[in-house]
Amino acid sequence: MTETKQKWSNLTLDRRHFLAASGGAAALGLAGARTPAMGQGKYAGQKVVFASWGGSYQDAQKVSFCDALAKKTGVTVVQDGPVDYAKLRVMIQGGSPTWDVVDVTVDFLYAANQDKLFDKIDTKIVDVNRVDKNYVNEFGVGDIVSSYNVSYNTTIFPTGKNPKTWADLFDVQRFPGRRSLRDRVSPMLELALLADGVEIEHLYPLDVDRAFKKLDTIKSHAIWWTTNSQSQQFMIDGEAGVGVMINGRIFDAVQKGGKLGIEWHQNMQLVDYLVVPRGVKNPDLAMALINEMTLPEHQAKIADLMALAPTNPDAFKLISPSVLPWLSTTPANAQQGFLVNWDYWKDQYKPLAERWEAWKLS
Amino acid sequence: MEMAAGTVTQSRSQLPRRPTIDVRSWLVAPAAAVLIIAFIYPVCQFLLRSFSDPVWGLQNFRALIHQPLYMRALTNTLVVSGTVTLFCIVLGYPLAYTIANAGPRLRRLLVFAVLVPFWSSLLVRTFAWMVLLQQTGLINHVLLQLGLIDAPLTLIYNRIGVVIGMVHILLPFMILPLYSVLLRIDPSYTSAAASLGAPPVSSFLRVYLPLSLPGVLTGTLLVFVIGLGYFITPALLGGPGDTMIAQIIAMEVGDFGRWGIAGAVALVLLLGTSVIFVLVQRLTTPR
Repeated sequence: MTETKQKWSNLTLDRRHFLAASGGAAALGLAGARTPAMGQGKYAGQKVVFASWGGSYQDAQKVSFCDALAKKTGVTVVQDGPVDYAKLRVMIQGGSPTWDVVDVTVDFLYAANQDKLFDKIDTKIVDVNRVDKNYVNEFGVGDIVSSYNVSYNTTIFPTGKNPKTWADLFDVQRFPGRRSLRDRVSPMLELALLADGVEIEHLYPLDVDRAFKKLDTIKSHAIWWTTNSQSQQFMIDGEAGVGVMINGRIFDAVQKGGKLGIEWHQNMQLVDYLVVPRGVKNPDLAMALINEMTLPEHQAKIADLMALAPTNPDAFKLISPSVLPWLSTTPANAQQGFLVNWDYWKDQYKPLAERWEAWKLS
Repeated sequence: MEMAAGTVTQSRSQLPRRPTIDVRSWLVAPAAAVLIIAFIYPVCQFLLRSFSDPVWGLQNFRALIHQPLYMRALTNTLVVSGTVTLFCIVLGYPLAYTIANAGPRLRRLLVFAVLVPFWSSLLVRTFAWMVLLQQTGLINHVLLQLGLIDAPLTLIYNRIGVVIGMVHILLPFMILPLYSVLLRIDPSYTSAAASLGAPPVSSFLRVYLPLSLPGVLTGTLLVFVIGLGYFITPALLGGPGDTMIAQIIAMEVGDFGRWGIAGAVALVLLLGTSVIFVLVQRLTTPR
């Protein structure tokens, strides 16, 4: 692979050059085309910057998605991050984003769409049809699905006598001791209402006052996590016996010998989206990277590595059976769960997040 | 650090004021240029947005007053930073005194002991406190084993954790300037006091302590002002009630993209800090 940095303005020339040499074969060079020869010429030697959340997550994305594109097309995929939304905003508003493809959470996708921060997904390059339509947005394509689940420490609550529902999480009589909760207004309002007996179908629009009232009941029993590694640490060390955790993090902890259990009742699902910041120099290549990330074989690979559920249903056939029970989009788990409704949150997030901070301080 | 603190105290008493521009003042030009371009300009831009974002007006400051969140976080910040400063004085003074009055070899060792944690990463030290302070952590484990407590103490994810973590990190900022002042106190003053019949306590209170006050004030200023902007330690070691103002600024920019409010909060913090700074400067400048 050459390290030559090709300017966008040179690309047409380069392509013509290549066309002449390869007798038109590359004319069909749609991104994501499977024969290496086609892709090789189109983007070879170019560079695309992928920004994600660092740690084992981004390592898995690199191995599963980015390396595959690099190998297939001869591009260099540069890893950057961790994603910082303030930084991303400033980059885009400054007019020259240095991140070409960014992994963002659903909340930021909606916030950013209100401020027109991202390019529309180019469906000529990204085959969105192979992705479950629940996970496709006009400005972003879901690459993985995860969920908030009830997690418990099996030495404190032996399996069988363990907390199973959000109601159990809030029940300090039956399950005494501290609980590890996420320091964020969503999912906590949803979980509080479910614990209070609200059905999933009637969850949105949220009864905010009722949710805060329910949260009052466990405030003095809670420790709050802000990062996923904190959520693991609280539960593994037994700082809390029961808590809210992302499924992949429970999987990871168990793989490393942590004595944790998982429950799927009313699991709350979130999607990570891939987006292209407005103003990137090479949007086609960025879209090609996104397209690569929707391929079933790659999504199966990252599922096997980290229990991150695929958005492309075809991936299930390729995922090892031992991992399937851990995935949020495995039918049995998906049926019990629900997708966070960010259409509701997009106008509510700011005022409610502010109320959340005020509630914590009160 | 030590050098810087030394020159600060020196400059007040010894440097004469020059009425005309000295050629030497051009030596600061490169540093000033960097500061203006990379710091003052962007900060002013940011602060200006408190008046202009989303529209011109005082709406951001009005929001600041009406939303109890900001005032609570500001109060938290002042209380935590003040508490931390007090602990730093109480812990730092005896240590600085010991260092200043130790023999050269012990002195080098002690200064080194103060500096080593100062050089290591703030994040690492904060995480280390998590390991020590949590309910299943070392401190609770030892206390339980010794039978001193029946149930683990809650030392973290509350105000106690924040104060412990911040005192540890900010202590060198108290010790180093204090030490450099104590070092220059002429021992013949206390000897003179003793020879005139002053018992050690009153010789300390009436001679040594007043002479050391500039160092205490410099240290207090440093610790308090740096403490006001603390972000990572309260986020990792604090509980829900310990949100500090820097976390609010980060939330407004990062989560909400509301530069206007963030700028307004930052401006209030900056003005408050400046007032404190000027007051302390006044107190320490000899009339």
